[in-house]
Amino acid sequence: MSELLQVTNITAGYGDGPAILDGARLTVEPGKVHCIIGPNGAGKSTLLKAICGMLTIRKGDVVFKGERLNGLRPDQILRKGICFVPQERALFPKMTVRENLRMGGYVLDDTKLRDRRIDEILERFPVLRERADQHAGTMSGGQQQTLAMARTLIVKPDIVMLDEPSLGLAPKVVQEMFDIMKMMSQEGVTVLLVEQNALMGLKNSDWGVVLDLGRTLFEGPAEAVLADPRIQELYLGGRKVA
Amino acid sequence: MTDILQILILGLALGGVIALMGSGLSLVFGVMRIVNLAHPSLIICGAYVSYWAFKLWGLDPIATLPIAALIMAAIGVLLYRLMFESQAKSARYSEMTVLLTFALAMIVEGFLGAAFTNTQRVTSPEYATDAFFIGSLFIPKGQLYAGCVSLAIIGALTLFLNYSRLGYAIRATTQNREAAELLGVNVNLISMIAFAIGIGLAGAAGSLVSFVFSFFPAKQWEWIAMLMSVVVLGGMGSVLGTVVAALLLSVIAAFVGAWVGATWSTMTFFLALFVILLIRPQGLFGEKPELA
Repeated sequence: MSELLQVTNITAGYGDGPAILDGARLTVEPGKVHCIIGPNGAGKSTLLKAICGMLTIRKGDVVFKGERLNGLRPDQILRKGICFVPQERALFPKMTVRENLRMGGYVLDDTKLRDRRIDEILERFPVLRERADQHAGTMSGGQQQTLAMARTLIVKPDIVMLDEPSLGLAPKVVQEMFDIMKMMSQEGVTVLLVEQNALMGLKNSDWGVVLDLGRTLFEGPAEAVLADPRIQELYLGGRKVA
Repeated sequence: MTDILQILILGLALGGVIALMGSGLSLVFGVMRIVNLAHPSLIICGAYVSYWAFKLWGLDPIATLPIAALIMAAIGVLLYRLMFESQAKSARYSEMTVLLTFALAMIVEGFLGAAFTNTQRVTSPEYATDAFFIGSLFIPKGQLYAGCVSLAIIGALTLFLNYSRLGYAIRATTQNREAAELLGVNVNLISMIAFAIGIGLAGAAGSLVSFVFSFFPAKQWEWIAMLMSVVVLGGMGSVLGTVVAALLLSVIAAFVGAWVGATWSTMTFFLALFVILLIRPQGLFGEKPELA
């Protein structure tokens, strides 16, 4: 039993609407980068939202460190150690970089500890330090995504979940984002990300999870998933690609 | 030259009060996307609190301002729980609040009319009819005091929003509700608190309004249009924008009143609203609306 987070056959959807997820499962092991891939509408983002408590889980279990998370609110799940960065609009655009980081530590009661960690993060990310007093909304896409990821580190989470961190970024910048994720995982923060670009995502991950029509098709080591013929079928209608 | 200075002073003093009247409206829209058409009717409620406290017990309206603010803030909590909390997840929330608050405005007006009749009222502490004279300039004490108290309250509000933990949470919720929730902010509680503060500001504005303008329950219709122009010019949801817009429009209205004619003075606000929506719909400090 080395898994940190275990999702077993969950069913979930928005409000009273139809189930978007039906039979999604997932195993997250500590210190690795996990990538969820799948075609549009597979329920990738929905899965992250269900884990972090934004959606009600109708069936199945989410178990984190041996504890069931079903029914907890997002702030409670955050305090347990799972941090979620939603797609694109994760920041407060009219707050400065420093204020955004301060909001990242909102659940920390010890303000001195929070301020010390903010300083540590600014030290580690020069791009943020140089812009500490600039409004987040005025930064470039890559800088904003860096801030969104760095901000999660203030609460020292066990798992950081990222919804399409590469969205709208130039290829060179995308690689920088993956490098940051790698660095995070090397420091013991487990990363779980959703990626539209399956090839790119898997190449930069340790573990791959393939989702289609709301259920998990299969999961496994990233290279194995990448080489699996079912992937090509799923994405390319069975045609062989070089 | 003295004329110009005189008009400027009168415009600024009045602008301060209008800024306070609009800031609660702006805050409530910014945090909760509630277009509170009932805001002026709640200002009038606050005005009645100070009016009766003065009439019955001779209490100064500036002294009863905190009481009016607290009473209205408490009413704000009730209104929020009763009217808005259950609607918070609705997809058509903002549109719905327009109808809800429109109904509320009429209910409040009807209630106030039944209780206090539609007689014009004005609180009359001594300073309301007195003035300072500096050379040939005169500064009406009532408007000066009201303007200064307003700006002091807005200053305190700004400090609170920018430096307190609760203020951070309110601003974060305004800018990105989902992200705030994910970082551990109890957005429902924050919304309720912000709404209560907004309605409390209406109460505070009411105390000052009670000796600056004459009022009666139906006066709200004139004010809602005026406040909407101020809030839209400032940029919906920006408190700073509201202050700048209120001062700007009041000064312009004062000049129009003095040079063109008093009847045209109120028109300034509506004309401004019209022009702003054509030229810069996001207002002075608002964000450009997203193209969706």
